Amino acid sequence: MRVQLFGTCLIDTFYPETGEATVRLLRHFGVEVDYPRGQTCCGKPADSGGYRRESKKAAEHFLSVYGKSGDPIVVPSGSCASMIKNHYPELFKDDERLRDTARSVAARVYELSQFLVNVLRVHEAGLIGRGRITYHASCQLTRELGVTEEPLLLLQSLRGAEFIPLPDADRCCGFGGVFMAKLPEVSRALAGEKAQSVISTGADTLTGCDHGCLMNISSAIRENGSDVQVKHIAVVLAEGLQ
Amino acid sequence: MRNELVDTFVQNARKVAAEAFVVADDGELNRVLAQVLQPADRVYCPGVTNREKAVVFAPEQRCEDYRSATVCVEEVFAGVAETGSVVSSSGGGKAIQAGLVCAHHVAIVAQENVMESVADFFTQWGASPPTNITFETGPSRTADIELTLTIGVHGPGRLTVIVY
Amino acid sequence: MTDSTKSIPFRASAAKAVRDRGLRAALQHATGVFTVKRADAFAGADLELWRNEASEIRVQVLSRLEDYLGRFTANATSAGAQIHRARDAAAAHDIIGSILRDHGIERVVKAKSMVSEEIHLNDYLSRIGITPVETDLGEYIIQIAGEHPSHIIVPAIHKDRRQVGTLFSEKLGCTYSEDPEALCKVAKHILREEFLSAKAGMSGANFMVADSGSIVLFSNEGNIRMCTTLPPLHIAVTSMEKIIPSLSDLPKFVRLLPRSATGQVLTSYMSVITGTRKPGEATGAQELHIVIVDNGRSLIVNSEYREMLKCIRCGACLNACPVYRTVGGHAYGSTYPGPMGIVYTALLEGMEKAHPLLDATTLCGACGDVCPVRVPLPALLRRLREERVERGLTPPSERFGMAAFGVAAKSPSLFQYGQRAAGLFWPLAVKMAGKEVLDRMPVPADRTFRGRMS
Repeated sequence: MRVQLFGTCLIDTFYPETGEATVRLLRHFGVEVDYPRGQTCCGKPADSGGYRRESKKAAEHFLSVYGKSGDPIVVPSGSCASMIKNHYPELFKDDERLRDTARSVAARVYELSQFLVNVLRVHEAGLIGRGRITYHASCQLTRELGVTEEPLLLLQSLRGAEFIPLPDADRCCGFGGVFMAKLPEVSRALAGEKAQSVISTGADTLTGCDHGCLMNISSAIRENGSDVQVKHIAVVLAEGLQ
Repeated sequence: MRNELVDTFVQNARKVAAEAFVVADDGELNRVLAQVLQPADRVYCPGVTNREKAVVFAPEQRCEDYRSATVCVEEVFAGVAETGSVVSSSGGGKAIQAGLVCAHHVAIVAQENVMESVADFFTQWGASPPTNITFETGPSRTADIELTLTIGVHGPGRLTVIVY
Repeated sequence: MTDSTKSIPFRASAAKAVRDRGLRAALQHATGVFTVKRADAFAGADLELWRNEASEIRVQVLSRLEDYLGRFTANATSAGAQIHRARDAAAAHDIIGSILRDHGIERVVKAKSMVSEEIHLNDYLSRIGITPVETDLGEYIIQIAGEHPSHIIVPAIHKDRRQVGTLFSEKLGCTYSEDPEALCKVAKHILREEFLSAKAGMSGANFMVADSGSIVLFSNEGNIRMCTTLPPLHIAVTSMEKIIPSLSDLPKFVRLLPRSATGQVLTSYMSVITGTRKPGEATGAQELHIVIVDNGRSLIVNSEYREMLKCIRCGACLNACPVYRTVGGHAYGSTYPGPMGIVYTALLEGMEKAHPLLDATTLCGACGDVCPVRVPLPALLRRLREERVERGLTPPSERFGMAAFGVAAKSPSLFQYGQRAAGLFWPLAVKMAGKEVLDRMPVPADRTFRGRMS
């Protein structure tokens, strides 16, 4: 089986180790990973900011890079995956030239945990974990993509790790892309509440499927003087491969 | 069937902090009333329906003007099991505000007038309902200060439901 | 209220609210309680079916709104009510003012109505020498404090018991108490006198029923029943979209509204009022005026924002919104706060004034999830953001940045150049964008993922 990987801007720029973990995981389960060289951004930041023209430019580019293959597209981010899966068909609904491509690309998209569980059944592989892990359910992943069970199945399957549910796990952490820059005071307050909630679980690791949220919460955890580790779910799972 | 409906009604009325009783005859009705009324109460009772006529209390307790009464004892139009509500209607010349201004509302519901649901209740009206239909679900309440539940703001602080 | 020509300074108000520990504690408590109670109230219900049914009815009404209003007007009139249509706030003022003056009214008892807040009715009445007395406990607190509601269901949600106690002792001259029950008694005693002596009562209306000409009102305290049944004159002020076809549709909203608003299966009272007191009846006002306010809604109903008008004002989206939960209603500087408030304010008061509110959402989607009538709030908020950009109301630096993004997103080499530049200039960027933002972000990696994949 072969997939096309979309690395996402945040992973590309700030968290390359998450990208590497994603590749290691996929390869371990026998998947050939194609990393299209021409990829840039899915357009999400422009889209949520209201810059439809610019987000469409990014989306058009994405379609030109990914539109030719028939392979599944794996995206280690709920919000980017939702952008492609839910917003692309809407962006191009009146565009005769790209409407069909947008729909077929959307249909090929899997958020990473979705692909790992529903296609590769990684939750049945008995991966090794360690420590006490809690999980933040990011907004677009949960409410736009409807991915609620898959990350939990993966985390609960880790042998040697304890999974601790996070109270109000699906409450927004205050990242919200442009929101973090536009209303930093409110964003920080929300991240602070989320951090408190993480710390209260007694977990030593917080994980999730979106680096935007994890970045936001991570800085609040540091501000609280806590040493809870923050890791993308790809990293947590890849650690269990050794 | 009817008994189950009455049971559900009584349970749901209690869930919303109403007192609820089921009586089978005039004697039981008055025993319940004697239990829930205080000697100092001034009682307004329209005395129009048979069930209202069966109500017995001391003459000095009787109060003709509901505005100065402490208790309103009356038969209401219906009960709704689903929500535990009693329903008053302005039909038949009823002053339904009587059950609002008194501190204690005693609502007698004829057993045959207990309906299953709000939806059942509203199928009967078509396009010409009486001037005022009011659902009363538990006593008057507010949570406007710190979301702390406080019973008996403007309306009755006590609601007694008697199924007869 | 802010000046109508100036934009709402949301960031400054929000930042101030975030620092108010008492406010945040009150909000967290209240919205938390509501969230839990709402979830409990819907446990076991087929909520998705209920939402679909209610949404379909609302869509059906909005697609032929004038027809339904015509039916309502005819039926309410034949039941004895007098119907008035007000194009805007000023027209509503004139109508209500002249009814009250014609009757020689100097004092009016009022039940809670968000539409009357929207048209600033109390200010108007005071200007023409009529005293409005708010009778909902929360509204009463707000009125004597000289404030505006900060929540559409619980107007004084931002005040704790000590603040209410101090307010009552200062303004009403009673002994200080912070016991809600005691405070409630004080207000009850004062307001009972008002009810019994009132010559006119005012209310809103949660629904108008087209086929029967009825209005439907929900309340917990009983003040709405007092206002609508004790005085001989009743004026109901509502907005034009709050219509349902028939009484048989009402149960579909009865099961959603209280559960969504307060987590109750039903509020303590629900009254269906159809016209005036008829011969042989002992209940009902002698004279009932229903003032139906447009105030911009007939434009919305014909726009791409039509679905906003499905809203039944339950307030669930406020309680679910992470931003509302953190800053409260006053920071929005508008009549309606929270997600529904942002959309309404932009549509009713104009984008020039409202555009900063469009930042007050993380687009997390929680509002859309709890909406009992499926108003697609996240999509409407996103669309309004697009409109803000189209109308050039975003900062020039942001427009420039986004334009550059658009170009770079089409060119992998430019995009990589941008990433490298970000890494290179990071220390400078932190200085320029301010610690609040970039200090909370990590430093770009030495080697990008793309680089490592080659």
